[in-house]
Amino acid sequence: MTIEKTEKKRIPLKEGLFDIEKGRLTGSKCPQCGQYFFPKRHVCLNCFHRDLEDVDLSTRGKIDTYTISRMVLPGSVMKEAPYGIALVLLPEGAIVQTVLTDCDVESISIGMEVELVIRKVEEDEEGNEVMAYFFRPVKGGSS
Amino acid sequence: MREVAIVGVGLHKFGRFPEKNIEELGRVAILNALDDAGASPGVIQAAFTGHVLQGTGAGLRVVNEVIQTGLLIDVTEKACASSSTALRHACWAIQLGLFDVALVVGFEKMQRGLLGAVTDPSAVTYDQLAGIRIMPGVYALQAMKYMHQYGARPEHFAHVSVKSHRNATMNPYAQYQKALTLEEVLNSRMIADPITLYQCSPTTDGASAAVVCAREKAHHFRGKPIIIAGYASGTPPYTPAGGGDLAEGMVESIARQAFKMAGLGPEDIDVTQVHDAFTPGEVFSIEALDYCPRGEGACFIWEGKADINGEKPVNTDGGLVSRGHPIGATGLAQIAEIVWQLRGEAGPRQVPRDPRAGLCHNVGLGGCNITILKK
Ligand SMILES: [Zn+2]
Repeated sequence: MTIEKTEKKRIPLKEGLFDIEKGRLTGSKCPQCGQYFFPKRHVCLNCFHRDLEDVDLSTRGKIDTYTISRMVLPGSVMKEAPYGIALVLLPEGAIVQTVLTDCDVESISIGMEVELVIRKVEEDEEGNEVMAYFFRPVKGGSS
Repeated sequence: MREVAIVGVGLHKFGRFPEKNIEELGRVAILNALDDAGASPGVIQAAFTGHVLQGTGAGLRVVNEVIQTGLLIDVTEKACASSSTALRHACWAIQLGLFDVALVVGFEKMQRGLLGAVTDPSAVTYDQLAGIRIMPGVYALQAMKYMHQYGARPEHFAHVSVKSHRNATMNPYAQYQKALTLEEVLNSRMIADPITLYQCSPTTDGASAAVVCAREKAHHFRGKPIIIAGYASGTPPYTPAGGGDLAEGMVESIARQAFKMAGLGPEDIDVTQVHDAFTPGEVFSIEALDYCPRGEGACFIWEGKADINGEKPVNTDGGLVSRGHPIGATGLAQIAEIVWQLRGEAGPRQVPRDPRAGLCHNVGLGGCNITILKK
């Protein structure tokens, strides 16, 4: 008789968007024109070059614009409102749409400096930790 | 290229009709359009239908309620712009000379609640799971940036809904026929800042139809034909800078093409229907149509310039917010309103000064359609 040791794994809410071990979002870079994209894609929208490279994106950016969701979307991991939703502009020029965490929604502002955080949002039936990405205000950052 | 005329339009009232199926909604709209044109179903050579979520064969079933002559029945899905796209397909076919007379139909019965809620786990996106993609999302994000850039206030957007609801009280086809005060709109539940509940288009059941023909055949039908003077379509272009202005450039470019085809400019448009799935949509679209400079749309509407009696009447039938938004039927409902306005048949909501030309702006996930009509 063999006893299988089950280990809790950390798995992403959806594959392909971020690397849990590295703690980075995964985007694409066009080797021809240098354009960055998030999420990953195969063909460059700027110059139509194929075979874009996977790259780890910057973990800091600025809020380009935001809103505050006052309700929850049924079926989503956000079980409580209100929470902030923002478009974050990364230094590479990629735009990331994200939920904002660890902040008072009334303190969010355009131009605010934010940083990536990847954290557990729920456990699945096998006890795996399901991970999602968020951004949060940088402590002492410009706002 | 030969011109295309609209010779009949008809709607099924917009609202919530749990006891009715799409066949009934569609049948009523089709019969109203045929009667308006004074056309026998037998003269229709092809039908072009638009719907989004009504399932396989829905276009066939709806048209077959009235016409089963073996005609071509085309089906188009372009999200909230489906039936204006069906109209476009009818135009192309008539202009190619494939048909002389066609029927266009849009219809939808919508699920209650938020569009975009998670229903099919296999098709679900990260944005839905993570709570990022809420429905007024893009409109809310753009509105927040607009307020930041131009100093607009939440009341400016709320006022759009006050105007829409006032107009809809004069539209017997509208889902909501009750006026709202600015306070009522502002104090309704906040959905996503700055958009409150009464600034969101509702879930709606409804259907819309039009009879279109080659202009030289229009004399076979009753009443004064309305000419499709210009049209253009497109999708949001990729722009490297990205940013909050997700659709920046799309409407401007499509409007330019449509105006060029019509030989008209923004100053020539006497009545307009724009896609206000949420109130900021009306502000952004009248700026994109160049009715006023960028950043001034909120004040333009606030000052009454887009009222029925204003210099540039917009959403005279109540728009999506008050007339209702059965997604597949919305585009043709806009067309129907412009036809009635240009004929002078819009009753208490008729714009003054004998309108000569009107414009419809219909946007969906499938892009944007702009259609310019003239007498
Ligand atoms: Zn490239």
